[in-house]
Amino acid sequence: MTTSNNKKSYRGLFLTWAILTIAGALVGIFGPSRLMPRSMSDNMHLTILTMVVFTVAAAPVAAGVYASALYALRHWAHKGSEVPPSGPAVRENAMFVTTWLIVSTLLTVFLLIWGLGALAVDNSSTGKNPLVVDVTGQQWVWSFSYPGTHVSSPQLYLPDNREVEFRVTSKDVTHGFWIVNMGIQVDANVGVITTIHTTPDKLGLFNIRCEQFCGLNHAFMVTVGHVLTPSQFASWLSSQPQQA
Amino acid sequence: MNRSKSLGVALASVLLGGGALALAGFALSSASPHQAALNCIPSQTAAHTCSLSLSTFPDSMAGEQGNNGGVHPDWVSYSNDNLAVPANTTVDVTINQYDSGGSLNNTFFDRVMGTVGGVAIIDGKTVSSVDPTNVGHTFTLRGIPGSGKTLFVSVPLPADSNTKPVNIGQGQYTKPVVVQFSFKTGSKAVYEWNCEFPCGSTREGQFGEAMSAYGYMSGTLTVN
Amino acid sequence: MTTTLEHTKTASIPQGGGLARRQNFLTGLIGGAIFAWLFWFLAHHFLDATSRTWSDEVAASVTLGWIIGFWLGIGALNAPGRWLIGKNNTRADDLYLAGQGQGKSRYWKFTTDHKVVGVQYIIMTMVLLGSGGILAMAIRTELIVPGNHFVNQQVYNGFIAVHGMLMILALIVAVAGPWGNFVMPIMCGARDMAFPRLNALSLWTLVGAAALLLTTLAVGSLTMGWVVLEPIANQAGVGMDFFAMAIIVFTVSTTVAGVNTICTVLTMRTKGMTLSRLPIFVWGAIIAAALGLYAFPYFSLVEAMTLMDRTFSTSFFVANAGGEGWLQANLFWLMGHPEVYVILLPAVAALFEIAAVMSRKPVFSYRTAVAGMTGLAGLSILVWAHHMFTTGWAPTLGGPFMLTTELISIPTGLFFLVLIGTLWRGNIWMKLPTVWMFGFIANFIIAGVTGIYLSDIPLDDQLHGTMFVTAHFHYVFVGSVLFGAVAALAFWFPKVTGRYLNEFLGRISFWLVFIGVQVTFLAMFASGLKGMPRRYSSYALIFEHTNFITTIGAYIIMAGMLVLLGAVITSWNKGEPSGPNPWHANSLEWLVPTPPPLENFDVLPVITEDPYNYGEELVRS
Repeated sequence: MTTSNNKKSYRGLFLTWAILTIAGALVGIFGPSRLMPRSMSDNMHLTILTMVVFTVAAAPVAAGVYASALYALRHWAHKGSEVPPSGPAVRENAMFVTTWLIVSTLLTVFLLIWGLGALAVDNSSTGKNPLVVDVTGQQWVWSFSYPGTHVSSPQLYLPDNREVEFRVTSKDVTHGFWIVNMGIQVDANVGVITTIHTTPDKLGLFNIRCEQFCGLNHAFMVTVGHVLTPSQFASWLSSQPQQA
Repeated sequence: MNRSKSLGVALASVLLGGGALALAGFALSSASPHQAALNCIPSQTAAHTCSLSLSTFPDSMAGEQGNNGGVHPDWVSYSNDNLAVPANTTVDVTINQYDSGGSLNNTFFDRVMGTVGGVAIIDGKTVSSVDPTNVGHTFTLRGIPGSGKTLFVSVPLPADSNTKPVNIGQGQYTKPVVVQFSFKTGSKAVYEWNCEFPCGSTREGQFGEAMSAYGYMSGTLTVN
Repeated sequence: MTTTLEHTKTASIPQGGGLARRQNFLTGLIGGAIFAWLFWFLAHHFLDATSRTWSDEVAASVTLGWIIGFWLGIGALNAPGRWLIGKNNTRADDLYLAGQGQGKSRYWKFTTDHKVVGVQYIIMTMVLLGSGGILAMAIRTELIVPGNHFVNQQVYNGFIAVHGMLMILALIVAVAGPWGNFVMPIMCGARDMAFPRLNALSLWTLVGAAALLLTTLAVGSLTMGWVVLEPIANQAGVGMDFFAMAIIVFTVSTTVAGVNTICTVLTMRTKGMTLSRLPIFVWGAIIAAALGLYAFPYFSLVEAMTLMDRTFSTSFFVANAGGEGWLQANLFWLMGHPEVYVILLPAVAALFEIAAVMSRKPVFSYRTAVAGMTGLAGLSILVWAHHMFTTGWAPTLGGPFMLTTELISIPTGLFFLVLIGTLWRGNIWMKLPTVWMFGFIANFIIAGVTGIYLSDIPLDDQLHGTMFVTAHFHYVFVGSVLFGAVAALAFWFPKVTGRYLNEFLGRISFWLVFIGVQVTFLAMFASGLKGMPRRYSSYALIFEHTNFITTIGAYIIMAGMLVLLGAVITSWNKGEPSGPNPWHANSLEWLVPTPPPLENFDVLPVITEDPYNYGEELVRS
């Protein structure tokens, strides 16, 4: 139970910390990206990158706490029913507290800089001839229409490598428009049009789910979308029945 | 308390508590309304074809809610909510529409979508869309896409303007609008269908009451 | 105050008093039922039945009748009523009201003794956690396989709403209720709370609110989630009216309790108990109470507006009549985020207390502990819109709210500094409270790190509204707050009962719950990352495995909590006797007899130093 706080015993602490940090970083690099859905847009690439960067940045901090707690358990745990003797009467440690405050502030500043930067990139619109899609939520169906074409569809069709602007609204209650593979979400509100941008950059099928609780059949308010080549998209658009 | 007695307490807690919870869960599950699925009746003449017959009523006096109309006899209802159909089959659906109607709040649903040929036969006439200001209900089916399989069928059911009276169960109605259409099922999955005409009376988007309650204007379609 | 001390067990029951002295929980229930029926009758017969809001008007009337009748029936309004007509309570009346000489029956009455209220809060916490837990099991059972097999969507939606609100209520009171009442006044050196009758009122009002909330499930049609989302709450059935009124009643309870806590700490401290000598738990309790006083008015306001939309056809949140759902979201989260810290701070403060006592060291960096809790409380009122990043409301405020949210990691980090600093080089006594404290440290790190992801808007645009969020806040509430609450229970249990909470059973429970939490919520993180939204009654096949694992984990947690319940029940009367100060601690609650007598102290103590002088006694003597 007695402590020997010589340098040798702190080596174990450092080692535990290093192992846990590496483990955490590895989980960060390989975990989320394997679980998250196939990335099909610029926003989603950024989302996954941010996830990795934050996990790697948080790994040493979390590992520090885990290693210290494990170290304390290993070296200073006192078992038995008798009360242990008093520990050292250490109330303050100016050096330690100051270091802690500076390190945690620096980490937070890093998160903020990254976050604000990513936010600026995430929200930016290229402004180059975006394709506009009107998205309408109604309990419990999504419908999509393409202004200027009289085409509407229960599934979303998008051309590759062209910015899309979604104008989202709802007919009844609030829904959450979420393109799972593109890392964009915005609520569909009654009487308001919310907009959101993304640029699809992979061909194929993607999922759309409602992420705002919308009542009885919320779980079934799902549909799929397709990213097509520009020529495929044009021929899809012209093959659709025109709605007045 | 010694260790073995403690272990006894631990085991007793888990078994008694778990048992009580399991019992409560069983009771709850039995008490929670689950309507038996309406099975698609296989066709005598054509292979891989079956038929479903449904009705929509302005109240709940004739459908699955029972002869007394259940808790809310005045709520609009479909005759059935849970449907079961075989995989890879053409399903011929006939819906007798007994209810009056009005304007859709989303004209998207005035089209016939996802059926064979993109059309429905309404009172003998083949149509691909209807008047959005005179709709009674819709039958709108969608799925949980798993690995890309998806199903979307939406058929508007025009308002019933006939005057000839008909009695079904304890309900008194007028001669229905008959809507017929077919769609093809894929592989096994569970889909959900509901009405997209705002017929729930009062409240947000007219989607409250019958529209937001289990067993009235929505149900599942199980492909098995 | 009299100078002679009348002990609870030895003093005889004061004679007389009539009907008012025979009131208890049962008469409260009867009163509530009678008034609920009366209000139903009046509303049902005299309100305009053709109005589209009629059924909601009737439902709201019934809930109002219930709470008024319950207050009258249990005797909550007796003393103010007597005061009003000039017949003030005598000293004998007050002692009777404090439960003098009434044995166990005082736990079923409107009793003002803070220790009785504390025990009643323990029982209430267990009832709320138990009911919420049963619903959690029902939810997980429904989600064990895709499809709606166990219950239908409508019943399921009711479960998620009521589970959420029951657990929020349970955790708001889980530490602050039992220990803020039982030990906090003794820690300050007070004979009771500043307003003993208000103390009893807060407890029994909570009981009234909980009864309403449980009834909502029977009334049904709750399609709005626990946050009472608008405009969809306007679509829900009459259960929604019960739900809103339950919350309004609950906020009365917390407001009364919060005022009482603050007044007690500010005015009832004994001589020499300066603010810097306060046990750290008292700081946690008062900061949480102050934060609650700021936050909960929004709660009752937003529910009152919801109720008015439904009964009086106002349109605060009805979009096609000039209102908007965003208003509800703003008001709700103005309450909702501070509320998280109202829940968290008492648990963290209790763990600081436990860390110091069990590692036989002073609280490390007491001042940063207080500063961290205060800073967290202050920041928490400036972060509400991070719950609304994806709603489309005020996109230009995204950056500022991201900033305030991420700043929260600095005071939160101080909690680890204090905990680890206190444990460091101590002699850590590995008893039950310590074990649960280590569980807290392990889980709270995961809760904190995953919170950072969600504060970042580009990431939140993917993770918001998914099971990832659900898993994150369950790591906060189950992984952290519940562990803190159980540690506090194990720590102060001997003071309440004179017996230890069974160590062996407590450890079995710990391992089951600890492992269960990791299995349940790590798998839930995976569901969220894969893209499964929250509040789903059914899901696509790709979420099958992670949901199955989550459900198994939830059953393990349930087994652990049942073992804990078994431990509490068997230890209460039959546990190993502990004596008055089993942990050899120095704060005042351990220096009075166990159980503490009515009014706690023969002679009020005079304080000369804080209770953390471990290792310093030798130097001075």
